[in-house]
Order: sequence, then C-alpha cells, then structure tokens
Amino acid sequence: MIITFIKLAWRNMFRNKRRTLIAGIAIGLGLASLIFVDALIIGMKINMVHSATASFLGEGQIHRKGFRDTHEVELTIADREKVISNLKQETIVERFTERVMSFGMITSPANVNSVTMFGIDPETEPYLSQIDEAIIEGDYFKGANKQNIVIGSKLAELLEVSLGDRVVLTVAQAHTGELSQELFRVSGIYYFNIREMDRGMAFIRLPKAQQMLALNSNIHEIAVKFTDTKFSQNKDLPFWDKYSQNGNEAAGWTTLVPQLEAALKFSDFGIFIVGIILFGVVSLGIVNTLFMSLHERMFEFGVLRAIGTRPFAMGRLVVFEAGALAIISIILGIIIGYIVTAIFSKVGIDYSGIELAGVTFKELLYPVMEIRQFILFPVIVFILTLVVGLYPAAYAARISPAKAMRTAA
Amino acid sequence: MNDEVNQEVIVARGVKRTYSDNGVPVEAVRGIDLIITRGEFTAIVGPSGSGKTTFLNLISGLDPVSEGEVRLNGKKLSAMSGRELSDFRRDNIGFIFQAYNLIPVLTVEENIEYIMLLQGLSRQERHQRVEKILAEVKLEGYADRLPNKLSGGQRQRVAVARAMVSHPSIILADEPTANLDSKTGAELLDMMRNLNQTTGMTFVFSTHDEMIMERAERLIVLKDGLISSDETRQ
Repeated sequence: MIITFIKLAWRNMFRNKRRTLIAGIAIGLGLASLIFVDALIIGMKINMVHSATASFLGEGQIHRKGFRDTHEVELTIADREKVISNLKQETIVERFTERVMSFGMITSPANVNSVTMFGIDPETEPYLSQIDEAIIEGDYFKGANKQNIVIGSKLAELLEVSLGDRVVLTVAQAHTGELSQELFRVSGIYYFNIREMDRGMAFIRLPKAQQMLALNSNIHEIAVKFTDTKFSQNKDLPFWDKYSQNGNEAAGWTTLVPQLEAALKFSDFGIFIVGIILFGVVSLGIVNTLFMSLHERMFEFGVLRAIGTRPFAMGRLVVFEAGALAIISIILGIIIGYIVTAIFSKVGIDYSGIELAGVTFKELLYPVMEIRQFILFPVIVFILTLVVGLYPAAYAARISPAKAMRTAA
Repeated sequence: MNDEVNQEVIVARGVKRTYSDNGVPVEAVRGIDLIITRGEFTAIVGPSGSGKTTFLNLISGLDPVSEGEVRLNGKKLSAMSGRELSDFRRDNIGFIFQAYNLIPVLTVEENIEYIMLLQGLSRQERHQRVEKILAEVKLEGYADRLPNKLSGGQRQRVAVARAMVSHPSIILADEPTANLDSKTGAELLDMMRNLNQTTGMTFVFSTHDEMIMERAERLIVLKDGLISSDETRQ
C-alpha cells in the first residue's frame, strides 16, 4: 500500500509540470543559496585567517610573559637557545622566525613619525610573512648592507622619502633607556593595503635591531607556522603549554587576535540565520504548492475518502507528495548549488581591501565546497519539507468527502 | 422475520439534513423513511435541489445526518468513527460518480485495484479480480492504459469495475450516465443491470436519466427533501 501511495504521490507531482518545476526551482534555489553561502563563509574564514596570519602575524607566537601587553624592551624570551632548539625538533612546526620590536621615531629631512621598528631575519621571515611579496619599490634586504631599512608606502609618503633616501631611527635601549640612533637608507617600500602596516612599521635586520636595543642575542618574538593551520586553532594543543614555561608564553592567532575569532564565530551564527531565513522561505513555498495542489484536486480527494481511504492515509499521501517535491527540489538545488559554487570557487570573488574584524582581505575570496554541504543541507531540506507537509496533510486528513465533492463541483 | 431484516440493506428512519448556507439554515432532506432490500435496482429521481445527492451522501455515510438514523447492512452509521466509516464504505459500498473520477495518474488496473489495496488483498488475488472484472465490463486489454486514453464510456465502465471489484453489497451511483451519449449510457446501464442480476448487488441511482428510470425496478421520487412517491415495478 505504501508503494502505491509513493507511486501516486510521485506521479501527482507531474500532473502540473510547470507548477512543480517552478516550486522545485524556488525550493532548489533556497538550497543552492545555502550551499553557496556556506561555501562562501568557509572561504571567507580561510581568507580572513590567512590574511591575518600570513601577512605578518604568523599562526602562533612566543613571547616573554607580559610583553604583548607592555612591549617593554627588556621582556625578551627566556632561554632563547633552548626554545629555538626545541622548536627545530617539533614535527608540527613547519617554519619559525625570530624578531625584535620596539616603538621608536623615524625622522627624514622633511618629517618625523612614530613607528614600530621590527628587527627581522631576512632569510626566515619570508616563510612567515609577506613583506617580500608586498615590495612595490626597491628590494627586500638584498645584499649585506646592515643599514638598509624597508618601510611602508604611507610612511614613505609621510616622510617624503623615496628609495635611497636617508632616515634616522631612534629607539630606547633596554634597561638603561638610553636613546639609540642610527642612520638608514631606504632600500625597499612595501604596500600591504593595511593602514597600520603601511604607515606604522619599519623593518631592519635582526642583528642591527638587537645592537640598537642593546639586547645582545635576545629576541622579543618567535613567529611560528604550523604544518597544518588547524593546529593554530586548537587551544588545547600541548604546544602552547610546552612553550609557556620559564616566564614565556605561547599563543595562537585565536588568542593574539581575539576579535578575529569572534568574527569567525559570528559568521557561523550568520550561516545559521541565513539558513533560518532560507528555510522559512522554502517552507512557505512548500505549503503554498501543496495547498494549491490539494485545492485543485479537492473532488479527487473527496472521491478517495468516499471509496474508503482512511483520514490518516490521506494525510500520508500529502506528506509523500511533499517528499516527492523535496526530492525534485533537492536534485535541482544540488545541481544549481554545485554549478554556481564551482564557478566562483574557480574564479573567486574580489573582496580585496575590505576590512572585517581588523583583518583586511588581501586576496580573492574562493568559496570552499565540502561534501557536508551536499549531504547535510539536502537532508535538512527533505526533513523540513516532510515536517512542513504535515500542515496540509492534516488538512487533507480532515476533509469531509461530501463537502469536498460539493465544494469542488 | 429475521430473514426479512437481513434482506434490509439500507434503512433510513426520519432522516433529515440541514446545511448552513452563509448562516441561513437550508433543509436539504426533511425527513425520509426508506428501506431498500438486497438486490434491488432502485432509482431516486427528482428535480435539481430535491435532495437526491444529499440523500445518497447520507445513506453512504459521506455526510452525517442532522436528525434520524441510517443503517447499512444493520450497522448504524452515526455510531462509527471517521476511520470506521472509511473502512465500512471500503468494504460495503461501491461508488460511481457522474464525472467518472478515476485517479488520472493511475492506470486502469491500478485504479480498479486501489480499493483492494486498501483492503489488503494479495497481489495475486487483486490481479485475478481485475482480470475478471475487466472481462465483465468488456475492457480486456485496457489494463495498462491511463484514464485520459479512454473514451467517456470506457472510463465509466472502469468506474463501475472499480465500484464492484471489492464485492460490496451496495452500489451507489450518482448520475452515472450524465456525461455519456445515449447509446453508451444504455450499454452501461444494461451492463449494470446484468451485473445486478448475476451478482445480487443492490444498485441505488440518483438520476434524471429516463433510461435509468425505465430500467429501475423501484422508482423513488423526491421533492423538496421528501419522498413524494415510491413505486415498485415488475
């Protein structure tokens, strides 16, 4: 009997092909939108995390405890050699680089500006940041000149300097607070399209920075890149505890840029809201289609009841019709969703320059397709369709045969 | 006495039906007493609005009575739940409607076996009965056709087959020839009369059709919701 009802429901869906197709496309578009939005948000998350970590931050960092809050020059990493030695043994660490940093002043013949000076290792830094890729004029620490400095395009504009021009960098030394000044020659200008980086950062070689700050071989920061980005998001990773000893602290980007993690959580909530709205629209479409179909066949429903179909069976027939509509819609939705998402995952969407949660998108945003989107969402649409179908099903079950035939006649 | 009671297939006592038409009560059936016995070939006739179809709905349990009592095969319809009524109609009454009312997406065979599916008969039993009834209504070879591939007369014969295949004791037919030409209608009526005589099923028609009136062995005339005459002919 069930098979006959399924057969009946399936064939009924094709009695008004145009209406079924339109309803199927409408519901399918809802599903396709959900697949696309989910893929887009995954792509956005990856892009945001990449933009935040790959520019300069790194996926994780090690500092002396308190340094992140105070930036005191004296707070250098304890047991540097041991930490470096251990990091080299870590299987989950792909690369790391050492840095020193200090606030200072940069002066040109035309102007003066506050700056964050970074001492970096030009050999290892490119694996952790994209300064080398962002160079728009000059080069990235070519040769061995210790007096080379790489600055941002906005800073160059403020200081009214160009390649080869001289600038003076002034910082306060560790422990004594004595001012230390050095003359540098602008050897490279970068453009990140991130205001803080383009205007407020200057890069010199690590040994020179250590010398200026009187740090000997000590450093303030180790930026780490893991073999898999998932490690950096795992707050329970033993790595953090292991390197948060002897007065040091290790933290991933989720701790270093908490607003980014909050933004990612918000985007999860966003997909939930989008899902609710889309499913709401889809639900109304289903109810409308089923009721239209039901009213169109009122006499037939009356006849079915008259010849002995039980009320429950009438309701079941409508639920099966809802299921048939769901299957048609899901097939259409998967096809549309796959095509649209596949196209955009190849060509990308240009969000570059847009800032969200302190992170500026630098690259094209590529939606990411996952098998989950093509299983979970269709299953939800199918179940939802059956649940929503209960309303017209209950109506069909309550149809009085005589009234139905009288009304339709 | 018991034999006589057992022969009473339809018993209506003081049956009334009042509808509300936009708040105005309309008495469609105003008090009908009637007994129809097994094997009768009865026509209920009367002008439009006389209450024929309403009365047919009341004696089949499609519509509840406002007053009075209807018993079919000795069972009081108003005492049954919706589900019991469905099962009772399925097992005891065959319906033939004016507009054929076959399920358009089911084939002739599927339409005919629908009620047997509801009854839970085996596939083999259903198939055998469908073959037999199709032969009786002269539609052999049409089992796999959809209703829209049949003529009006053929569709109505399928409707007759569907009504009779489950071996109900009563066939209720509401204007079964209204959409047929006179030749096809006459053939259909002759076929039903023949089935009535060979199977002993009770046939009750609601009709305007003179051909049915001519063939009916009992003619009940309704007027303004009441029986105005009840004539049994030999």
